[in-house]
Amino acid sequence: MADRKSGVKRSSVDGDDAQDSKRMRMGNGDANVKMNPYLAHHYENGQSDSKSPLDVLERHNTTALQAVKVEDEDVNPWTGRPHTQQYFKILQTRRDLPVQKQRQEFLDMYHSSQILVFVGETGSGKTTQIPQYVLFDERPDLNGKLIACTQPRRVAAMSVAQRVANELDVELGEEVGYSIRFENRTGPKTMLKYMTDGQLLRESMHDNDMSRYSCIILDEAHERTLATDILMALLKQIAARRKDLKIIVMSATLDAQKFQSYFYDAPLLAVPGRTHPVEIFYTPEPERDYVEASVRTVLQIHATEPEGDILLFLTGEEEIEDACRRISLEVDDMIRESDAGPMKVYPLYGTLPPAQQQRIFDKAPEPLRKGGRPGRKCIVATNIAETSLTIDGIVYVVDPGFSKQKIYNPRTRVESLLVSPISKASAQQRAGRAGRTRPGKCFRLYTEAAFKKELIEQTYPEILRSNLANTVLELKKLGVQDLVHFDLMDPPAPETMMRALEELNYLACLDDDGELTRLGGLASEFPLDPALAVMLISSPEFYCSNEMLSITALLSVPQIWVRPNNARKRADEMKQQFAHPDGDHLTLLNAYHAYKGAEQQGEDMKQWCHEHFLSLRHLASADNVRAQLKRIMETHGIELVSTPFQDKNYYTNIRRALLAGFFMQVAMRESSNSKVYKTVKDDQLVMIHPSTVLTTPYDWVVYNEFVLTTKQYVRTVTNIRPEWLLEIAPVYYDLDTFEKGEIKSALTRIVDKVRRRQAMKGGSS
Amino acid sequence: MGLAGAKNKRKLGTDPNNTKWSRNTDSFGQRMLRSQGWEPGQYLGAKDAPHAEWHTEASSTHIRVVLKDDQLGLGAKRNNGDECTGLDAFQTLLGRLNGKSETTLEAEQKAREDVKLSLYVERKLGTIRFVKGGWLVGDQMKEEDVVKGEEPQKEAEEESSTSSAVEEVKEKRSEKKSKKRKADQDADESSAKESKKDKKSKKRKTSGDTETDDDLAKAKRKEKKRKQRKGSDEQDSETHSTSEEPAPAKETTKDVETSDLEPKKSKKEKKDKKDKKDKKDKEKRRKEKRAADSESSKAGDDISKEKKRRKDGGESTSLAEEALDTSVPSTGSTPAGSGYSTPVPGSTKYLSRRRFIAQKAMAFADPVALNQIFMIKS
Repeated sequence: MADRKSGVKRSSVDGDDAQDSKRMRMGNGDANVKMNPYLAHHYENGQSDSKSPLDVLERHNTTALQAVKVEDEDVNPWTGRPHTQQYFKILQTRRDLPVQKQRQEFLDMYHSSQILVFVGETGSGKTTQIPQYVLFDERPDLNGKLIACTQPRRVAAMSVAQRVANELDVELGEEVGYSIRFENRTGPKTMLKYMTDGQLLRESMHDNDMSRYSCIILDEAHERTLATDILMALLKQIAARRKDLKIIVMSATLDAQKFQSYFYDAPLLAVPGRTHPVEIFYTPEPERDYVEASVRTVLQIHATEPEGDILLFLTGEEEIEDACRRISLEVDDMIRESDAGPMKVYPLYGTLPPAQQQRIFDKAPEPLRKGGRPGRKCIVATNIAETSLTIDGIVYVVDPGFSKQKIYNPRTRVESLLVSPISKASAQQRAGRAGRTRPGKCFRLYTEAAFKKELIEQTYPEILRSNLANTVLELKKLGVQDLVHFDLMDPPAPETMMRALEELNYLACLDDDGELTRLGGLASEFPLDPALAVMLISSPEFYCSNEMLSITALLSVPQIWVRPNNARKRADEMKQQFAHPDGDHLTLLNAYHAYKGAEQQGEDMKQWCHEHFLSLRHLASADNVRAQLKRIMETHGIELVSTPFQDKNYYTNIRRALLAGFFMQVAMRESSNSKVYKTVKDDQLVMIHPSTVLTTPYDWVVYNEFVLTTKQYVRTVTNIRPEWLLEIAPVYYDLDTFEKGEIKSALTRIVDKVRRRQAMKGGSS
Repeated sequence: MGLAGAKNKRKLGTDPNNTKWSRNTDSFGQRMLRSQGWEPGQYLGAKDAPHAEWHTEASSTHIRVVLKDDQLGLGAKRNNGDECTGLDAFQTLLGRLNGKSETTLEAEQKAREDVKLSLYVERKLGTIRFVKGGWLVGDQMKEEDVVKGEEPQKEAEEESSTSSAVEEVKEKRSEKKSKKRKADQDADESSAKESKKDKKSKKRKTSGDTETDDDLAKAKRKEKKRKQRKGSDEQDSETHSTSEEPAPAKETTKDVETSDLEPKKSKKEKKDKKDKKDKKDKEKRRKEKRAADSESSKAGDDISKEKKRRKDGGESTSLAEEALDTSVPSTGSTPAGSGYSTPVPGSTKYLSRRRFIAQKAMAFADPVALNQIFMIKS
């Protein structure tokens, strides 16, 4: 286990090795210069090299005044270099942040309590400032312990780290760094580390006491991601063991009390945000068509309300694109017919390429002519604009009251992605988006009664909505034995826990006593779902670990197929070029191979991907994921093998290897000439998702995911042979555990057939 | 659901909830949980946790989902037309049976009547918008913000937006008129508006324009037509203004009553209607233009034109009526008691249809296009 640990750490740093060494050299150089007595005169003004301005700051006994004084110095106390002009400019704006006024109050509380709940509305500056306040109080330069600040999103971790590095006038990756799933930008000098919550969780698997850190700040805790929830429960335990560890939980106002009572009535510090009042409007009666109503509302705002940008919340990509089109058309009409101001409409959803996402920050268009009506922009977004992104200039919010939510059902093991009503908290959050720059208005397309009666209080935290197989594996690895009484803020449904345990048991990650097996330990090293990890680990047995590695990487990034609305047919034709008659997994692999081939031939990849309707971004990130996974495999001694491409079993091996992880995700066709399949053991009726390349209706398929969108679909399917099931997963396909039915009889026939064939073979030899 | 409802067949498996699995007490997962002291029916999580009061239903069993395959707004019911009617008369009785107090019953009754009345007025005459005029405090007019209190402020807020719309419309109108007048004055030069129109027609033409030698003749014809069109436009704008002008004056007088009658009517509804009305207005203007266009066009197929005019006339008279008492045009299409705040279509669907019809009419009105259609070489 020990060597594994070190291996992973090494692997996470490896990526930046080159940069790190450079940085180190620079750092050393600096230190040397400072130590050099002959150059002491360079550092004369005010403080000598031996006396750092930080000396006034006594660890855990500082005051805001002292810290402010140090910040005002000409020399950067952390690097010893003089401050740049830029620094003082930023410092000025920092001093205006609402949180600055309560710095002393914060420090007093911080000194007096181990756990602190901090509530700051958006715009209070908490994400950037609080970690710095802690930095000046913790003095990491003295004991070498880090300060960690977690973020639910990778982008946030990266951008905030950059911002704080600028504010402290240091290089990103030196004193201030970040660490996200497949990227680590920290160095030996790093004192303040922004990271995703999942990353901290992964780290803690190897450092159960989180001994590297002196203070851990959980930011955006109100978003209640799976990782944050687990971290909170863990930190609660660790805090009891490690009295020197400080914990700050930062949240929006909404459920601060819940956090407080969860953390043994921790003291609460609230900082007002810089928000303006928002006027709420409801409709007097329910709407018949919320999309239509929202389009109209936007147009009406454009026609009648004064200047200010509009934010409209809808549920999905298709709906958003449709609404954008309709709004633009109508606005064009409005301009032509009645001299309305110009309006730019931008869509915003997760799968949009970053360049297009960036466009939402463009300025609103100028009036069509001088003195004409002001232009405005309208952003039509999913709920990522609810919390993740802050767009300034929004004055009007249109809220139909729906969003798409992922919800896992442990009984049928289906993950549904359905349009459902939002929560009250979410509705308030949406409305709040209108008051960032000046007093705004929020138009809710439902009645006040509906708001009160039909909406739940809080959005369900992720832990209640997800498959917990991965989480349980992580918890086992973290040494949590008692899963029943693990102190989560919102404990998941018992059935969800049971299903997770059961899946892990079938995957042989847990033995029959619930102990982590060797395979389980190995699987937890991979930042993947257990099924994928097990598939990867057992792939050398099928002589195709290289291929499985690629497939795993491709399955853990978003869809690589691009299918734009205006070129669906051509996109499908292009996809057919890569199609393998046996299934989607193999098609993915073909596309990846083609991509690598084109890359090697030095083609313009952007052009190539565009022509082939593939997403360069996702392919590139799959490539990156693949490299990371490969490193993990190498450190754990998992062989990377392949058969030659010409081998007649090349694809068969891959199909068999898929089953090693996904034998629980198999469906059988209900009857010949039917399109309906039935999942094994759970007996759910499913259809194959229309995006498949399969044209032959095979009797047995393995699928990557089972989703409920408009129907129950299985997505990314590949044809398999039932004999393999009995051979590869004999425990799961023990016929005694099956209920009477078509599947059992089909499997029984297969068993007989295999037996007969073996008997014949035995007889002939 | 009635017979007319959309068919929505869905095949269900024998055990769509997989109760087979959940009832199985022998599964590995259940054995594990039991061995750690869990009993069926219990929550997971720490014992006697202080935060347990915040636990939701979702901690005991998985979250139930509903497949939403329509675009029904939040709180809207699918079968709105199917509701029992005529129960109004019994509401008091039913309420009494349900043990409601007399005063609440009375209040409910009154509310229902209010709604009915306002609906009646709305359907019959339409709603009217108001212009914000400040507050009368003592005997002096004050700006709205002098008066404190939530309600009036909100109202004022709403009024301001509506008023701005009214002003907008007016502004537009006057602008247009002045433009036309100017255009008349210098008849030879084309005004901005005209040129715009010209562009449009040119676009239409260039699409099918073959490079024939009679370009010049065409241009001449165009010019002629343009003049004609302009003339009719002028007329049209005049009729327009006469029909519209008295409206605002009337508004104020009528307003007071309706607003009193409709205390519940919220800004949203009003705005919606106004929005709609604006649209209609626009459309009306557009249509009239088109009608004029068709009039000015050559005297071919009289019958069809006659038909069309009759149609247009029918519509425009109704529109004129509407304009006269500034009624809200949603009446016709809103089914009684549909209970939706957005007026029923007439919008995009019909808009595009209307646009299509107009395009066709325009093509007919355009001799060059017609010639091309019938492949007549002139």
